[in-house]
Amino acid sequence: MTLAATSNLVAELLAGPRPAEWGELREAAETRLAGRDLPTTRDEDWKYTDLKALAGLSFAPAPKATVDISGHLLPEMVGTRQVFVNGHHAPHASCASAVPAGVRFFPMSHASEACHALGSVPNGKSAGLFEDLNTARFQDGAVILVPKNMKVALPLHLLFITQANAPVAVFPRVLVVLERGSELELVEEHHGSGTYLTCPVVEIHVAEGAILRHERVQRDDAEAFHLGTLKAEVAKGGQYHSRTLSFGARLSRQQPWVRLAEGAEASLDGLALLEGQQVADTHSFMHHTEPNASSHQLHKCIVDGKARAVFNGRVRVAPLAQGTDAKQQSRNLLLSESARVDTKPQLEIYADDVKCSHGATVGALDPEELFYLQSRGLNADDARNLLTYGFAADVLTHVPVASLRRALRQLVMARTQAGSLGDLS
Amino acid sequence: MLSIKNLTASINGTPVLKGIDLEIKAGEIHAIMGPNGSGKSTLGKVLAGHPAYEVTGGEVLFEGQNLFEMDADARARAGLFMGFQHPIEVPGVSNASFLRLAYNKKAEAEGRDELDPLEFDDFIREKIKLVSMREEFLDRSLNEGFSGGEKKRNEILQMAVLEPKLAILDELDSGLDIDALRVLGDAVNKLQRADRALLIITHFPRILETIQPQFVHVLSGGRILKSSGKELAVELEERGYDWVLEEAAAGGAR
Ligand SMILES: Nc1ncnc2c1ncn2[C@@H]1O[C@H](COP(=O)(O)OP(=O)(O)OP(=O)(O)O)[C@@H](O)[C@H]1O
Ligand SMILES: [Mg+2]
Repeated sequence: MTLAATSNLVAELLAGPRPAEWGELREAAETRLAGRDLPTTRDEDWKYTDLKALAGLSFAPAPKATVDISGHLLPEMVGTRQVFVNGHHAPHASCASAVPAGVRFFPMSHASEACHALGSVPNGKSAGLFEDLNTARFQDGAVILVPKNMKVALPLHLLFITQANAPVAVFPRVLVVLERGSELELVEEHHGSGTYLTCPVVEIHVAEGAILRHERVQRDDAEAFHLGTLKAEVAKGGQYHSRTLSFGARLSRQQPWVRLAEGAEASLDGLALLEGQQVADTHSFMHHTEPNASSHQLHKCIVDGKARAVFNGRVRVAPLAQGTDAKQQSRNLLLSESARVDTKPQLEIYADDVKCSHGATVGALDPEELFYLQSRGLNADDARNLLTYGFAADVLTHVPVASLRRALRQLVMARTQAGSLGDLS
Repeated sequence: MLSIKNLTASINGTPVLKGIDLEIKAGEIHAIMGPNGSGKSTLGKVLAGHPAYEVTGGEVLFEGQNLFEMDADARARAGLFMGFQHPIEVPGVSNASFLRLAYNKKAEAEGRDELDPLEFDDFIREKIKLVSMREEFLDRSLNEGFSGGEKKRNEILQMAVLEPKLAILDELDSGLDIDALRVLGDAVNKLQRADRALLIITHFPRILETIQPQFVHVLSGGRILKSSGKELAVELEERGYDWVLEEAAAGGAR
């Protein structure tokens, strides 16, 4: 084995100075990264997602920048947001004045508190190279701590914005800890402009009986690469529900890992709208480690142009995890001949008393549905656009924050040519 | 209003309609009965313009226009409505916004004013009363998770919104409870006028007690074997279809 060439992107990203805090964490990550390069399509895990275009680029650490966030504000979350620009906390754009007392919601750069928080929860096994890169080089991030039994009424808002005048790399980081019996809604958004690489890592700990609802919106620039990791630990009777909506990025990969303890519940829903040459890959891992937990996944993609969607849904049911109920559905709508979808469930079931179902569909619009709409007077184009819209909007029905739901529906309307149909919300 | 002459149609190369003749005039109510698989729904879908069915012969005029020169949506905008035996579910599209869209497309075609969401809200509130539908059904996705009976109710709501000239109602009564049958039957009657017509496809005479047809036709094997007054429905219930088939065979042999 020869070591990677000097043009190695991993080495390049690590070339800059190691930030001072969390030295041990970072050192361990760097050790794991030593001598490694980007995965290639020869890696089983990256078979359908080619990082060649990424490997050919070079990224500098992202400088501090200021941006206008007025277009990203949501009325329900006026005083509950933390904003990060190019990986750095943006204090003037952030406002946490409405965060209820007792809830901790602060940037990691407020080190003394964060140090304690980040060190106190087990991070588990690394999800791979991009998590390690983040750990080695993240500049800042958000910490959210919700105390025991506190049900937070207002949703919290995390905005990660990248502004790349030249190619930059950013490593957003989030740690969420919900103590026993607490409840929270969290909206996490990624926006940006220019060519950049963003490798967010979100770590979540949901304690016994706690409930986290997590909306994730990826609207990165069409020239961006988004390689994200999410790890959620859900303790006994806890619930974690997330919805990941991917609109942007030239290439994106979401890697959500969820570990469920006894009686826990999790849902990982997803929607990706892809066009042009976009690639969106989701490699999920739903890990049932204890009895009687249930999980649910609905992953939808609309793929147009020469775009490509990849879904690999791994579900592992440990021998102990009797009474598991795991459902997974991957539904894909192809709008062009050259669009492509690779979808596959990966079930690893080691318990016998379990209910596991999975299904995948890849295809065009259903002619019966088209006819039904046409029989009510909609012309063929309108019927197609309405069905395409509905296919996507279906995932948005239960987005809890009304203004966000509306904004997302409008975005979907614009992307599905349903705009001419008037207000559909 | 509708004039069908020697209509033949097939699906996947299999002939299903084998020469249908039927005249429906404004103000009339017709019923079609017949054994399973005889082609009743096919007739409805061919008239509504389902692309999977191939019209192999004959002619259909709707208000003097050649129906087969119009796409399904143009037929709908011209005033033809089909209430389906199995309405389709469309997730992600709210019932209300779909109804408004359909209403506005028709209004646009007729040169009437379109309704904005607020105006439509008032309009639809009146319409749902007609079919005794609860408001929450307006916010749900179109037919998604609706029970069989709720779907039928929604079909009649669509009919009430679109006010078609000719409505073909395919097994409106199947899956309906007794109260719903009465409510929807009354609603259909209220929508019927001297310049409109109805074609009711059913297996049971019960619905024809509410929506009283002047004509009952027996469709079997892709042909109309017998046409008579509304008393035929009761006779069919008592005697089944065999005698009609035998009578037709004897008639054909003569
Ligand atoms: N897509 C199809 N492919 C093949 N055969 C079909 C198709 N659709 C309908 N048919 C056949 O056409 C015939 C007529 O069907 P149709 O649905 O019109 O019957 P129907 O009179 O409405 O019956 P029912 O009373 O059961 O509703 C049946 O034999 C049916 O199997
Ligand atoms: Mg039928």
